[in-house]
This record gives sequence, C-alpha cells and structure tokens, in this order.
Amino acid sequence: MGRIALVGRLVAGNLRRRPVEAMLLLLAIVAATATLTIGLILSGVTSRPYLRTRAATAGPDVVASVSPTFGGPTGPGSSSTAGQSSPGGPATPRPPDVALLTALEHAPGVTGHGGPYPLTWATMRAHGLAVAAEVEGRDQVAAQVDRPRLTAGSWLRPGEVVVERAFAQALGVAPGDSITLNGRPFTVAGIAVTAAFSPYPQICAEGCFIDTSAIPGNDPGLVWATEAAAKSLASSGEPVNYYLSLKLANPASADAFANVRDSTSNPAAPFLVSWQHISSADGKVVTNEQRILIVGSWLLGLLAVASVAVLVGGRMADQTRRVGLIKAVGGTPGLIAVVLLTEYLVLALIAAVAGLVTGRLVAPLLTNLGSGLLGAASAPSLTVSRVLLVIAVALLVAVLATLVPAVRAARTSTVRALADAARPPKRRSWLIATSARLPVPLLLGLRVAARRPRRGVLTTVSVAITISGIVAVLCAHAVFDRGFGVTTVSGLPDPRTSRLSEVMLVLTIMLSTLAAVNAVFITWATALDARHSSALTRALGATSEQVTASLSVAQVIPVLVGALLGIPGGIELFRAVKNGANMAYPPAWWLVLLVLGTLVVAAVLTAITARIGTRRRPVAEVLQAELA
Amino acid sequence: MRQEIVLAMLAKEPSHGYELRARLGQALGPLGDDMNAGQIYVTLARLEKAGLVTCERSAGLADRPDRKVYELTAAGQQRVAGWLAEVSWPRPDLAEFHLKLVAAAAGKLADPLAIVDAQRRELLRRLSEAQRAAIAEPAASTAGLLLEGIVLRLQADLRWLEACERNWTGRKESKQ
Amino acid sequence: MTDTTLLRASGVCKRYGSGDGLVRAVDGVDLEVAPGETLSIMGPSGCGKSTLLHILGGLDRPSDGQVWLAGNRLDKMGERGLARLRRDAVGFVFQAFHLMDELTAIENVELPALLAGHSPRAARRRATELLDQTGLADRAKFLPTALSGGQRQRVAIARALANEPLVVLADEPTGNLDSEATLDVLRLFDSLHQTGQTLIIVTHNSRIAATADRLISMRDGVFVDQTRLTGGSTGSLGALAGLEG
Repeated sequence: MGRIALVGRLVAGNLRRRPVEAMLLLLAIVAATATLTIGLILSGVTSRPYLRTRAATAGPDVVASVSPTFGGPTGPGSSSTAGQSSPGGPATPRPPDVALLTALEHAPGVTGHGGPYPLTWATMRAHGLAVAAEVEGRDQVAAQVDRPRLTAGSWLRPGEVVVERAFAQALGVAPGDSITLNGRPFTVAGIAVTAAFSPYPQICAEGCFIDTSAIPGNDPGLVWATEAAAKSLASSGEPVNYYLSLKLANPASADAFANVRDSTSNPAAPFLVSWQHISSADGKVVTNEQRILIVGSWLLGLLAVASVAVLVGGRMADQTRRVGLIKAVGGTPGLIAVVLLTEYLVLALIAAVAGLVTGRLVAPLLTNLGSGLLGAASAPSLTVSRVLLVIAVALLVAVLATLVPAVRAARTSTVRALADAARPPKRRSWLIATSARLPVPLLLGLRVAARRPRRGVLTTVSVAITISGIVAVLCAHAVFDRGFGVTTVSGLPDPRTSRLSEVMLVLTIMLSTLAAVNAVFITWATALDARHSSALTRALGATSEQVTASLSVAQVIPVLVGALLGIPGGIELFRAVKNGANMAYPPAWWLVLLVLGTLVVAAVLTAITARIGTRRRPVAEVLQAELA
Repeated sequence: MRQEIVLAMLAKEPSHGYELRARLGQALGPLGDDMNAGQIYVTLARLEKAGLVTCERSAGLADRPDRKVYELTAAGQQRVAGWLAEVSWPRPDLAEFHLKLVAAAAGKLADPLAIVDAQRRELLRRLSEAQRAAIAEPAASTAGLLLEGIVLRLQADLRWLEACERNWTGRKESKQ
Repeated sequence: MTDTTLLRASGVCKRYGSGDGLVRAVDGVDLEVAPGETLSIMGPSGCGKSTLLHILGGLDRPSDGQVWLAGNRLDKMGERGLARLRRDAVGFVFQAFHLMDELTAIENVELPALLAGHSPRAARRRATELLDQTGLADRAKFLPTALSGGQRQRVAIARALANEPLVVLADEPTGNLDSEATLDVLRLFDSLHQTGQTLIIVTHNSRIAATADRLISMRDGVFVDQTRLTGGSTGSLGALAGLEG
C-alpha cells in the first residue's frame, strides 16, 4: 500500500509543479479522442435517419411512376438524358397510361398502395429566387403507405402548399411565407419530410420522371399542392405524370421486385425504384461526411501524438533530474518507470473521458444531416465497445509517446541524471561547415536546429499533417467548384456541399490550431534549450535580433520542408478518400499561397515566442543566469 | 646553508669544490645567484675539521680550495642518512610580525594598518617577481618547483596579512 | 581624455534592488587603463569586481557614471552598438570557459570572426593562427570534452582574440584550473602582454593578480588600494627560499 501511496504522491507533485504543460497535454489528447468519438458515432449512423423517416412516414417499399410519352423514343430517364426530344419541334405528348400503374396494385407480393398521385413541374419563385419545383398533387396526408410527416405548420388547403424540408431550408421559407408556382400565388402551409423521394437536391438522383429541359435549374425540389392545383399547373410542355407507392409483403425483396418489372423498352410502362436505392442516394452524404471525419480524426490523432511527443520531450531534462533524485534515494528503475507512466496514463484517462463527453455533445450537431431526414443520432449510439476503443486509443497514445523517454530515463546512470546531463547535442560536421558560409541568423539558426534533429522532424511531421489536411480540403473545394457531382446550378446552396464544407472547415481550424500550438511549444522548448548558447553568442557579439531570428530560422526550415511534403501528401490523401468522385487539383496559386502563408505564420509565431523567451535583457543578466 | 646539504651533495661521488658549486647552482636555478659561493668552501672546511669529509689534493695542482677533491667519510654518510630521515620543517617567523603590530598599537608608535599595508605591498611585489620567474622557467623544471613553493608560501602569507588587516580594522572601529 | 588611455571609467555605479533590498555592487569607481597594460583587480567574492568587468566589457550597463573605450561612450550605446563592441573591440574570457560543446576547438575559435561577417576562409585562417600561438595546433579538431581544463581555457583565450580586440577581459580565468594548468594560462597571458595586448584580469587569487603591471584592490564596490608591481622589489627571492644572503 505504501508504494502505491508513494507513487501517487510523486505523480501528484509533478503534475502540480507543471500545470500548464499538463493542461496542454490534456488538450492535445482530448482533441484527438473527441474527433475519434465523433467518427465512431457517425459510423453507426449510416442509414438510420432514412430508416427513421421511413418508419415515421410509413415509407413505400417501391415507387412506381408513369410518364407521358412523346412522339419519339423519349421516355423515363434521368435528367442527364433529357433532351432527346425529336428534332423539328415538340411533338404532342400522349397522356400516361395510369392503368398500367394501377395494375401494379394487384401484383403478387403487394400488400398496400398509396396514390396514384399526379406530378408535374413548375417554376417556383420564393424570396426572390427562381427554382424548379416538382409539384405533387396530394389533398390529404392519410394513406395506406407513404404519409408525409409534418415538421412545421399544417397540411395544405386549397391555395396552399407544403414544402419538403431540405428544399425549404435551402430556400429559407417557413410556414406563412408566400411563393408562386408558374406565377400563381400560394401560401406555405407547412414543412414535411417524406421517404418516397430523396431529399433536395437529390430528387433526380434515381431518375427524374419528366423531361425537365424547359424548367430552370437542374436540381428541383419537392412541393405538395392540391390535386386540382397540380393538374392545373401542368401545361402542354409539362404534362402530368403519376406515381404510385407500393408496400410489399417482403420489403427486402423490393430491389428484385423493381428489377423484374422495370422495363425500359416500352416507354409507356411504369418506372420502378426500390426504397434501398432511395436510401443509398441519401447515404452518400453520410458516407462522405463520415469519411471526412474519420480521416480528420486520424490526422488530428497523429498531430496529437506529435504534440504529446513534443510536450514530453520538452520535459525530458526535468524528468531526468527527478529520476536521478528518485534513484539517489533508493528507487528502483521499476519504480521510476511506474511513476513516469502513471503520470501520463492518468492524464490520458482524464483526456479520454473528456474527449468522449465532448464528442458525444458535438456529434449530434454534425449528424443532423441531409435535413430532409428526421432526427439525429442519439445517446444509444455510444456503445460500450466504442467507449473502450476510444479509451484504449488515448492510453496507447500516452504510452507510445512516453515509453521511450521513460525507458531512457530509467536507464540513465544516477550521477549523470543528477548532474542534469540531458542528451548532449548532436554534432554534424557538414552542417557546421556549410552554415559558416551563410549570413549570421542562418548560421546560428541552422546550428540550433542541428542540435536537436528529432525536434525538427517533429515539426516537419506536424506541418506535413496539417498541410495535407488543408490541401485535401482544397482538392474537395476544387471538385465542388468544377461542378462534379454536387452542385446547385440554381445558385442555392447545396445543403450537402455546405455541410461537407462546414465539417471540413471545422477540421481545418482544429488542425491548424493544434499545429500552431505545437509550433509555439517547440519554439519555446528550443529557446529554453538554446539558452546557454544564445547567451554565449550574445556575449560574443551577436545582437538579440540576430539570436531571435536564428530561433525563427531553426523553426522555419522544418516548417518549409513539412509544407512542401504536405502538398503531394494532401493530394494523395484526397485521392484515397474521394469515394468515387472525380479528381480535381486546386489551382497552383492556391498552393503557393498556402505554403507562403504557412511560412509567414510560422515565422511570426516563432519570432514572437522566441522574443518572449529570450527577452531583451542586458547580456550580463542573462549571463548571470546562464554562464555564471 | 646547512652543512648536511653539502654533505648530501657529495654522496653521489667525490667531487671538486667547483663541481659542487655548479651542482648546487643548477638545482637552485635563478636563485643560484643568491647563493654565496664562498659559503660552500667555508662549510667544506668545517666538515673536514669535523671529520665528515676527507680532502685530497689533486696531484700537481696548487693548494686552492676549489681544486680539492672532497669525499664523504663513513661518519659523513651516517649524518646524511640521518638528515634525510628528518622531518622537521623550516620554522615560520610569524611571531615577529605579530608582535610588531601589537607593540605599535600599544605604544601608539604607528598605525598597525599602515604597517600591514606596507608589508602587503612588499609581499605582492615579491610574489610578482617569484611568479614571473616561475613563468620564465620551462615546464616541469626542477628549479621551477622551488619557485612554485615560494609563490605558494607568499600566497599563504598574504592571506594571513589580509586576515590581520580585517582584524586590526575591526579593533580600530570598535574602539571608536 | 589623453591619447594614452585606452579605457576610462568615471564614477561608475551599479545598483540592484531598492529600499531595504538595495545592493550597491559597484559604488563609484574611477579607472584609467593605458594601452598594452596588464591590470588586475583583486578582491574577495561579492566585492563587485565581476560586475565592474561586465560593465567595462559592454555586457552590462552602469546605473551611473561614464565609460569610454577608445573614445566611444559605452554607457550611452544602444544594445546593437554594445553587441558590435563585444564583437570587435572586447574579448571576454570566463571562469567556466564556456565553449560550445558541439564545436571543435577551431570552430569555437573562428565563431566570433564569422559573427563579424568575415569569410569562412579568413576566419579559419585566423583561428589556426591563434591556436598555433596558444600552442594548441595539434588539438584543433578536438571537441572540448576531449581537452583538459587548461587546454579549454586556452581555446577560450584564443577565441577572445579572434577579432583582434582592443582589450581582453578575463573573469577569474584560472578559477577552475589546477596549478599546472594555471601556469600554462599565465604563460599565455605573459606572451600576450609581450605583444602589447591590453589585459584586465579580475580575480581573488593573489598569485594571478601578481602577474599584472598594476594591481587594484577592491572591496564593497570601491577601489581601496593600488600597487605598481613592475619595477623590482626590495628583497631577493633567495632569502624567501631560506638561502642566507
């Protein structure tokens, strides 16, 4: 018992002596565990929101639709094939064959249906924006299957419309607002979600039912109106379609059901889509976000390890002396290892718990995705196995980063440890020889950097990780800008890209902050380490500006190497993570600006830190402290 | 110069007077000049009379002291052995100076501090000379060792003088 | 100020703290040093001699008083000017040597020349010259850890001479050395003196102090005594050794 008490007292004493460093270590690990937690929570959220919406709205297993046929072999197809109208002016459309649709109500395996409901297209104007809207004619919500669920307001009455939630959010409409459809005024009665369509702007992901070349924009949203209103909005250019929701005895067989009956050879035949397809379109958003978060948490985790290594390394001289003291009074190497590791493990445990809590609180904000679907991830998603995983990772981080110093400290001879003979600086003859040719700040800076090469490597790694993350984000933005995949031509913000951009921005800020903290701490440690040689160089005639500049140089060189490594690193990272999206490279001048910006920030940060660290005191005062 | 020194110098082999002088001079280095050459011959004569050395005239030379060849007798050898085994150390002479200060203060003859000061200055000058001579000697020379001894003694004496100064200053202040 | 004064101090004071905690490290010191002179300042620890030396060498600023070095006012110089001074006009030798552990002897010696902007070749040439002068030519590529205390201090002295300073200031230069090494260093100082280098040595060791041309005793921040040491003494060394005259 006594030994445990002794270890406890030693650990508590050390933590109390250096509270700031302990806090920094804590924050570094919390950052990593929080993002890891978020990533893990999100991984369990794959298609849950869709499933929840499906349950809440009694979503259909299969959606079937018929469209009017035109003179030529136009017919159902996605918006990308729209434009196959026969040459020589629009032909007269033949109305859709509703009988073919209703025949499905009695197909084997079908246990219920809803509709058929009329669908048409109109130009909607709301809040000064002109967008395309798919209008579904629906007088009442009640049905056997497919019941849109109101999230605000009430269902429509004649002269009113209900807007799909994601669409409403993008437009910024709320119940009570006025909109126009094809110039006719309507009032927004409510906001609702449905599982029969993918939410805005994914409506056409699984194929749009109507040729939309005449309507502005490629990303229409869903709006419900009365049947009469929907039919009246139809025009000769945009005649009415019909769709039917089906419920199957075996929902899992929806895909098979749709494939068997889907026929592209007869343009008049119904077009079928299973609920799994609708779900997957939405799932793509989740997957992307989840990927970004998991990659982000890996990057942050690596940065955290680098931070921990720096923080621990910075305490090495202090630790060595403590080890010497413990040994001198009879402590065994085993006791020493236990004390050192306990200290860091305690911190890691506290950090893991804090990270879990933070992640749990922040995750719901980020999982409120594709707002067309109901709800967010809630508590049950933080399972015991996930909690244990996060704690294990945090402990591993602490153990890895402290194992080497602990072993080395335990092995140092007592006398050397007491004499505070921390690792002697390394000597690199070629570097000393080359630095002699350079101007004074570079001469001193290179030599300072060469004394502790491992610290330089840590800086390079930190910066490379951060820049990789930022470059990957820039690649993603380049993809967005080029309109591959996810854009909204109508000028409305695509909720998916804006969400992804939000997430990436948060990650970029976290990465940059952690990297900046790392840089400050490394500079501080270097300044402290170089106290003696800085004082001596000043006594030999270097000005304090030259000394400060040299400390900056010692940092800026590894930062430059890291930034240059981060560019190809980020590109490869994006390539590995992009999940099938097209590859795009950010413009060269963005990258140049990024590298220059990083250098400037690094130089400024380190100059300020070095300035504070060395302070413009008269040399004799410094000498008194260092060279007496 | 103590007789035993001359005796010991003869222990190696019988030598002429002038050889003895040369050997002594070499051992003393720069201090050899301070040695009185005549003293050696006087000492040799006394030793002969005491029966500790024998003297032979070199054949065919005039009766000059430096041409005589001296040799240790058995008694002389015994004396040398006894001297080598002795461990008495040269006597310090601090009492004289100490009493000088006390007398000056008691009889109000002079300011003790001034005396100390003057002595200090003198010792510093001698220390300076000794140190310079020590530097001029090549490294690890035997004579250099002698000079080192002088320097260290002077240092010790100077330290004592500083203590005297502190002590007598305190006495003066407490009287006032 | 006459032409024959290289370094001059007038009414120099250095105070630390205030009120009850006020310490007068240096309390009004006047000094004139001629070029080529070797001066030693002797005193017990805490008498302010190191502080005074730091002020004379531009490593610290006086609270009061003026200091001139070759006509330049030190107490009025800015930090940059003082740095230049330390580089070009003053060579400092510390008690603890203070060589850079990761540089060889010759790299340590050439450092001030590199700081002054000389080409690496010129700096290396000067360093080789100096190591020859100090008798360490065969140790040029050795690291400080491979050198004895006396050799290290000689490297430090060579470093102090790198930029041909007007004056070399030594703070307890033999404090960490045994008597053999002390003699080596004193020999070096002597040869510097022969070449006309101005030297100011601060020490509490009388034998070091005694090698100077002039010895100043310091106590409690003020000069209390001055002795001229060159010019013979009234006794002979033989008497000191026990040889009757």
